[in-house]
Amino acid sequence: MNMKTDKNELIHIPEAFISIILGTASGLLTYYIFLYFKIAIFGWNLGLLFAPLVAGYVETFFAEKLIGESIGAISAFILFLVTVIYGFIIDNATLGYNIITFGSIIVIVQAAVPTLVNYFGIVVIISMLSYLTGFFKKLTDKIDNTIRRFFGKEEKEEDIVIPFDDRESNEKLNSLDFTFLTYAHPKLKYDNLGYFYTTTVLERNTHIFHLSPENVEKKHLNELKEGKDECLIKLSEKIKKAGGNGVIDLEISYILNGLGGSCFQIISSGMGVKIKEEPPAS
Amino acid sequence: MILTSANTLENKTIMEYKGIVTGESLIGANIYKDLFSGVRDVVGGRTSTYEEEIKKARDIAFQSMKEKAEQLGANAIIGLKISYDNLGGTMGNTILITAYGTAIIYE
Repeated sequence: MNMKTDKNELIHIPEAFISIILGTASGLLTYYIFLYFKIAIFGWNLGLLFAPLVAGYVETFFAEKLIGESIGAISAFILFLVTVIYGFIIDNATLGYNIITFGSIIVIVQAAVPTLVNYFGIVVIISMLSYLTGFFKKLTDKIDNTIRRFFGKEEKEEDIVIPFDDRESNEKLNSLDFTFLTYAHPKLKYDNLGYFYTTTVLERNTHIFHLSPENVEKKHLNELKEGKDECLIKLSEKIKKAGGNGVIDLEISYILNGLGGSCFQIISSGMGVKIKEEPPAS
Repeated sequence: MILTSANTLENKTIMEYKGIVTGESLIGANIYKDLFSGVRDVVGGRTSTYEEEIKKARDIAFQSMKEKAEQLGANAIIGLKISYDNLGGTMGNTILITAYGTAIIYE
């Protein structure tokens, strides 16, 4: 009985080879197209994910046509090796644990348990798109408001990020009785008090996940502007304490800091000075 | 409104120093722009989506800075500085563009 089965399997070897070759060729072509058009997200070429996927599907398609059953997506594995070797070693030597390696492993697992992984993949992709477009939030808000209306309750207002008052901030910074100069004036008469710097650290706000991506950006920008004002005010206070009334060659810089970029650091620095008279006309 | 990174204005007299003015803007990660920027680079010449986005964000930062200078009654900004800082975000693609300088009145 077993011998008969083995014989039947051996008969299909040429068809299996054809399927693998066609799958591999399709995968390579896909990878080439993705590389040529530089179809990438966040710098990672999507061909690394799609090439093995296409290879596996094409191979399975032909195997089912020619033999009547799947042969296990061998070309997906070949493409996984090709893309990893080219993408991580030849083109970019950053082989390691990252999203692409992880994604490629999913493709391999997908070949083994396609239905489960496909459903999982669909859920992840739809969730990502939903979050990025804010679609899910808009939909749930609409449903929530419809239910509220039905029960005669007050509708929930959309999350609005209060715009940063740039005019107020401008007035505040320029009414400190302190001179901020972004350069060193050659004719300015002053006493040099030394180099001063202040730092403001802002924790990344993790309580704004419910906002749409656009509002998250606005919220972050507002926090950065507030942080910058605070940093400059602290600098002016520090120099005033040292007997100064101005800063020259002012620099403001922003740095991502902390474990996994958990906070922003704003640094203002410059030479603290006691200006003897207003900068001369030039 | 004259903008210059120098500390003087050629053939002009600086009458008054009004203070510091700043402008900021953020460019967030956008999966669609990122996905198709490579295709557009090949199909539509050199101008990439990112270049366009950065230009737009820089214009917003400059505009905000100029409005603040006007608010102070200034007609020029000298000692202008501009910086581009990566602030992480989704996959490290949030860029903060900052412009700042000294607002002055010239004659």
